[in-house]
Amino acid sequence: MATTIPTSAFIATPHRCSTGRSSAIWVQKAQFSASSSSLGVSLSLKRPSLRLVSVRCEANGAGMPVIPAEERWMYEESEINGPDIWNKTWYPKAADHVNTEKTWYIVDASDKILGRMASTIANYIRGKNLATYTPSVDMGAYVIVINAEKVAVSGQKRSQKLYRRHSGRPGGMKIETFDQLQKRIPERIVEHAVRGMLPKGRLGRTLFTHLKVYKGSEHPHQAQKPIPLPIRDKRIQFVKK
Amino acid sequence: MNKDKIFKLAKGFRGRAKNCIRIARERVEKALQYSYRDRRDKKRDMRSLWIERINAGTRLHGVNYGNFMHGLMKENIQLNRKVLSELAMHEPYSFKALVNVSCTAFPGNKAVPKKEGLSSIL
Repeated sequence: MATTIPTSAFIATPHRCSTGRSSAIWVQKAQFSASSSSLGVSLSLKRPSLRLVSVRCEANGAGMPVIPAEERWMYEESEINGPDIWNKTWYPKAADHVNTEKTWYIVDASDKILGRMASTIANYIRGKNLATYTPSVDMGAYVIVINAEKVAVSGQKRSQKLYRRHSGRPGGMKIETFDQLQKRIPERIVEHAVRGMLPKGRLGRTLFTHLKVYKGSEHPHQAQKPIPLPIRDKRIQFVKK
Repeated sequence: MNKDKIFKLAKGFRGRAKNCIRIARERVEKALQYSYRDRRDKKRDMRSLWIERINAGTRLHGVNYGNFMHGLMKENIQLNRKVLSELAMHEPYSFKALVNVSCTAFPGNKAVPKKEGLSSIL
């Protein structure tokens, strides 16, 4: 890829940078071959001069040295031509899902239909909007929800939707309506909605921690510079009749 | 003879299943059955993963997977889903070109999303 991709969060090609290991091996082999080869062939090798610290992203593209045909049997295919990206389905390495480099989104929940908003949030948290989506790896973004107490529901749900929880003991079921829960703990409504839409399991639980819901319009994540969440659903705005 | 082979296959199993022959034999048989079944499942899972990735990639450009593939089929582009998903991840400009080809062949989606991220450059 000779294209200069701007560092936008959506498409990252960091997997290329993980050939650092192979280039380090190559450096060691090159030292051996330089000392023992007396082929008389003018080797136009661009050898990094005795570099033991491998620079990851430099190992690809222009930095990939040309291995002459006589020495090609010494090396593996991936060392000669780089990693095979067309025949093996890409799987993210650890450097591809570092939490500190993930995007942060922000949604204002006032007068948004609860379920529709929760659905788009869950999609972004899971990473399903990215072409690099992997189900077993957390590739998604962080989402901040503000004004959670102003979230809207249609129909009679405000007084009729029930939130149930059970303490585990017999007779220990507690029931609350949407209204009552919104007065008591408004964040829980949005959290409950999004948690139901995220996968259930170990990964789902860590994904849930990437959702941050706040009651007012203030949030402590200014340093992450969150960008507004792009919502494509046209029926998400609550229209009062 | 057989016991050694069983124990070799039972490496990494939990508890007594890796050490006691009676239990190991059962678990190894089950493991081999699972691997037989999953060699066939892997092909299905991979294809659905490619389709999910292509879907995400095309939705960045305002087209969904169904209309995209329909357009490609109309133009007789025989790239398979594995290659399409790798293009979507690693060659975004080429992928955008494919999406354009598909849109000219089958203009299915009307609503174009607000430009964000890479799409705004393309």
